[in-house]
Amino acid sequence: MSLTSELIRNLPKGLVMVGSEATRPFECDGLSAYKQKPLAVVLPSNLEQIKKVLEICQHFKTPVVTRGAGTGLSGGAMPLEGSVVLGLSKLTRIISIDKERQVAVVEPGVRNLAISEAVDQFGLYYAPDPSSQIACTIGGNVAENAGGVHCLKYGLTVQNVEAIKMLTIDGKELSFSRQDDGIGMLALMNGSEGLLGVITEVTVKLTSKPKIARLVMAGFSSVSDGAHAVAEIIKHGVIPAGLEMMDKLAIEASESFAKPGYPLDAEALLLCELDGVEDEVEEELKQVVDLLSAATTVKISETESERLLLWKGRKSAFPAVGRISADYYCMDGTVPKRYLALVLEKINSLSKYYNLRIANVFHAGDGNLHPLIMYDAGVDGELEKTENCGNDILKFCVEVGGTITGEHGVGVEKLDAMCIQYGEDELKVFHQIKAAFDPDSLLNPGKAVPSLHRCAELGRLHVHNGELPFPELERF
Amino acid sequence: MNTIERLQQKIKQGDKLQIVCNDSVDKQGFLNMSAYCGVVEYYPEELVITLKAGTKIKEIVAILSENNQALPFYCQNQEKSIGGIYATSGPEFSDNVLGVQIINGEGKLLNFGGQVIKNVAGYDVSRLLVGSKGHLALVTEVSLKILPQRTAERYQTEPKPKNKVSSLHLDFEKKLKQIFDPLGVFI
Ligand SMILES: Cc1cc2nc3c(=O)[nH]c(=O)nc-3n(C[C@H](O)[C@H](O)[C@H](O)COP(=O)(O)OP(=O)(O)OC[C@H]3O[C@@H](n4cnc5c(N)ncnc54)[C@H](O)[C@@H]3O)c2cc1C
Repeated sequence: MSLTSELIRNLPKGLVMVGSEATRPFECDGLSAYKQKPLAVVLPSNLEQIKKVLEICQHFKTPVVTRGAGTGLSGGAMPLEGSVVLGLSKLTRIISIDKERQVAVVEPGVRNLAISEAVDQFGLYYAPDPSSQIACTIGGNVAENAGGVHCLKYGLTVQNVEAIKMLTIDGKELSFSRQDDGIGMLALMNGSEGLLGVITEVTVKLTSKPKIARLVMAGFSSVSDGAHAVAEIIKHGVIPAGLEMMDKLAIEASESFAKPGYPLDAEALLLCELDGVEDEVEEELKQVVDLLSAATTVKISETESERLLLWKGRKSAFPAVGRISADYYCMDGTVPKRYLALVLEKINSLSKYYNLRIANVFHAGDGNLHPLIMYDAGVDGELEKTENCGNDILKFCVEVGGTITGEHGVGVEKLDAMCIQYGEDELKVFHQIKAAFDPDSLLNPGKAVPSLHRCAELGRLHVHNGELPFPELERF
Repeated sequence: MNTIERLQQKIKQGDKLQIVCNDSVDKQGFLNMSAYCGVVEYYPEELVITLKAGTKIKEIVAILSENNQALPFYCQNQEKSIGGIYATSGPEFSDNVLGVQIINGEGKLLNFGGQVIKNVAGYDVSRLLVGSKGHLALVTEVSLKILPQRTAERYQTEPKPKNKVSSLHLDFEKKLKQIFDPLGVFI
């Protein structure tokens, strides 16, 4: 018996897909530069079926790649050669809503926005709001510890998950909750990128919807003025619901795409949202506006539709950039906020060096940058050049005390960058954690944590003949 | 004064050690962290502070209040050290943990997480070890998210009581202990 025939024999008709055509829609995730077709795709519709898939895959020692909506941006859900994709998009039941305790229990395939829609009638919502929230699943959010525009004030996924249920590769059911006595197992599962288990149920925290929200838009004649305003706002004790920044190229792309009325003469744009009860918001609004003395334009949303329109520009920044370039590559480094301007300068110099345009949008409040490197995959060598440019950006993020990924995860994409972020001893611990849950390394193997061998090779590459790549570029 | 090297040496000797943070306990078999204290780094606009593990809560509170900032978690006894709180708390505390420096049971100095609010590179070991009660590793430095005073107050409520976990869950905890302290140094 082969693996695929076992899958077909044991699962209801239509849930197992094999062959090049049928599996094509699953060959990549949101990072479409990397593609690989799996052996089979299975779309179970209940827990027993998931267990069956795991049992069969374990028996055949076949790797399993768990998949939510496939919107990930680091190749986390990209199939591996000879693997089975375990797609959870059919598990979309909201099991229960407890409006008193402000929690909801949902299946892993429930879309992020669907939770907020379901509890809207109770004046509640699920706070973490990745820009992909119409499509991405809660299982994928937990596996990536997804963030969003509002996580400076409301937290990332890890702070908004009460409990999860998980299956280990050998089909054992584990549950982890914030009430557990002991170490932080629940936190460990957040951001584990499908390497430790299959998340089968999530209990999310619900947040009361703020009474009002107002958005301040400010234009600046330099990025450093904008970055300085960010630091001032926070130093003065205001925690905005969202604090986003865009550079000139991103402003231009968004303006021509969504027409939110952004100032085209600005080098940097700040969007600062304040929410809560009316008095509090009014007070903070005054405080923020006072701190924006260096701004060349300031506009405050007067109506809800105006607020949403101003956000629309930011939220459509990715597709907007997609319109002005054949392809783009989205980076996700995070840096201490005091280095925002410096890092932006560095990114500009790398853009010139590589001759690649880079638009920058970032969650300025938490120092999370999304440089969008524009390239054309049709041009030979351009993807490679783009990857090198991206790696140089990430290296610089680490040099100033930041990290290679703030919310998109490592996946397959940032394996090399992980060698910059962590030393051999830490990487060994990561491999041991993986082995503790999945000794045969069948769940998403090879992702998220680079092999020590890979890092050693890379180290040799990087200091080739004792020379750093691009010695002419100033290093921090 | 304890230095990292001395702490590493002590652990490498392989004798059973109990981690404490109390000046009156300074005998064989104890690793007293009370002298390993102080602020490593603090920029108010980053909303991040990095502390040596022996730093007392009351000292941290005093430093933060100079900038109208505060610790966003419940802490009744301000005589405790941040390392002690780290070792005995749950998610209400780990929600604010950004990074940790530890010495494992083999005397190796390791760093997990960092000093930025968003970081998903590698498994979240800095939150995993919260609540490890000194049995998995010696915590030497902790980086925390902090908040303006008026916002922090919302998070300073007493945590709910904890529930016992399943034996399968405990088996996994044991496996994880093996990773950090394979020789069983920390008791
Ligand atoms: C336009 C766009 C905007 C985006 N904006 C943001 C943003 O603002 N913030 C942000 O954080 N991310 C953002 N993302 C990235 C992406 O949407 C998130 O990472 C999201 O959490 C992925 O969810 P998914 O359901 O699509 O997961 P997938 O892409 O299917 O999977 C992601 C990872 O999770 C694992 N996984 C999925 N489900 C499970 C499960 N049930 N159990 C175990 N492992 C599982 C997979 O194996 C994979 O490693 C954006 C993506 C796009 C395309």
